[in-house]
Formats: sequence, structure tokens, C-alpha cells
Amino acid sequence: MKRGLRAAWPIALGYFPVAVAFGALGAQAGLSPLWIQLTSLLVFAGASQFALVGLLAQGVPPLLAALLGLLLNLRHAFYGPALRPYLRGGPLEAFFLTDEVFAVALRALPGLPPGERRGYFLGLGLGAYLSWNLGTALGVLGAQGLLAFPGLGEALSFALPALFFLLALPHLKNPVALLAGGVALGFHLLGQTAWGLFLAGITGLLGEGFGERRRP
Amino acid sequence: MTLALLLLALGTFLLRFLPWRAEKGLRAGQAGPALVVALFLVSAFGPPPSPEWLRALLALLGTYMGARLTGNLGLAVFLGAGLYGLLGLL
Repeated sequence: MKRGLRAAWPIALGYFPVAVAFGALGAQAGLSPLWIQLTSLLVFAGASQFALVGLLAQGVPPLLAALLGLLLNLRHAFYGPALRPYLRGGPLEAFFLTDEVFAVALRALPGLPPGERRGYFLGLGLGAYLSWNLGTALGVLGAQGLLAFPGLGEALSFALPALFFLLALPHLKNPVALLAGGVALGFHLLGQTAWGLFLAGITGLLGEGFGERRRP
Repeated sequence: MTLALLLLALGTFLLRFLPWRAEKGLRAGQAGPALVVALFLVSAFGPPPSPEWLRALLALLGTYMGARLTGNLGLAVFLGAGLYGLLGLL
């Protein structure tokens, strides 16, 4: 687990400012600190949490807001099957399965002995989870001033793109992955990021047999 | 409102858990690499196309160089993020 925790720090670095912003947004929307923190503790999915709070602040009925948040998370359904050859998914593993944890695990797990994979994954998820919740708590408490140091907030906001870039590098010669990336980027530019990512997952599913081979 | 929170939490968990658990469920195909590349592109390049993309590209170049020079993923991310912040101050 220690190895996974150590591997989590780039994710934690990127999560922290986003979580602070989430906590601050919830507080500004007039939601109770407990409710905001519970959202990070129980959902642990950034985009849908922002959507839930934003929609509630606009007066959207709560159940509709939750369903729209779920739509944003449809892509998560692809992550488990992609990791299944390397790790059997239990409830705790599934709870930690965010975009970033998935991407790091997909790169790291094939190179680990099978007996170490679960501990690594749980350490990775736990590190990300702690950062997300610490950031949320500080945001709720009004600590967004922490990020006011010139350039710091922007620098931290780029940690996740930089991490995804390094994780994507080995796949940039895979035509299926490139096509899926193009689909996602196209929808992203049209303001439909969630659908774009979902369709990227579908493209990957349909592309079985093309591009790179799965590592043993 | 609490019900909405619980619905989102449970639904998200099931979206992550059930397809992973299912022995004969969804086959991943190339979904893993496809989603990693997609996540990279949508996180690095915000709409609409703008000079910010050049800043992102320069920071990604710094990230790549950091990875080549140090061989450490975390350090390379730190360098790339720092470069992105510095470029914003120019």
C-alpha cells in the first residue's frame, strides 16, 4: 500500500486546488459545510460533484441534479473492465476508481506482481481520496486564499493534465486511442465533454483487435 | 437534497463496481488506452482554441523533458505544473 500512496502524490497535487474550489463553491452556494463534505466523502467524483452543487444552486430539483451528475459519470463504467485483467474489483477498489486513479493504475498494475496489485491500488486511491477531502474541508473553511499566491493556483490546476499526458504517451501511436481522443476533443470543444468521454470509451470498445495489444 | 446526494453516491459507486465485478460482462477492448488519451486531451485543452493552448503545449513539453531527465512521474508533473504557472506570470 505504501507504494501506491507514494504514487498518488501527483494526483493529490492536482486534486487539492480543485477540491478547495469545490468546497468554496458549495459554501458560496449556501450549502451546509457538513453536506458539502459528505458529498466529497461519499461521491468522490469531481465533475459530478461540481454539477450537483452548481445545479442545486440554480434551483434545479435535487433528484434531477443527481441524475445529471450520474450521466457525467457514465464513462466510469469502462474503467473496471479495462483493469479487470490485472485486478479483481471489490467494493473498496470500485469506490476509489476515479479518472486519475484509473489512468495511473492502468499503467502501473501490469508491471506489479499480482500479490501487490490490490495494496498498490488501495494506496493510490486512498492518497487521492485524502487529498480530495482535505481540499474540500479547507475550501469550506474559506481557505481558497491559500491559492492566491501568484501562479500557484494555475500551476496546480495543470498537474492533472500533465499527469494524463505522461500516462497517455505510450498510447499515442495507437490509432484507436487517437481516434477516441479526437472524438472526445471534438465534443469537448462543443461543450459536451462528458458525452465525448463516454463516446471515447465506446470507440475503444469497438476498436478491440486494432492498435496495441493488451499487456499480459 | 440529502436523497440526491445519496443517489449520486450510490449510482456512481455502482457504475464503477458492477462492470468491474461482472465476470462475463463488458469487454474492455481498447477502452483503457482510448480513455487515457481522451482524458489527456480534454484536460489539457479547454475550449475554445486560444493562445492558452500554446501555453499548455509548452508546459507539456516541459513535462516531457522532466520525465526524460528524471525518470520520475511525480517530479515531471511537478515541473510541468510549475512551468505552466510561471508562463502565466509572463
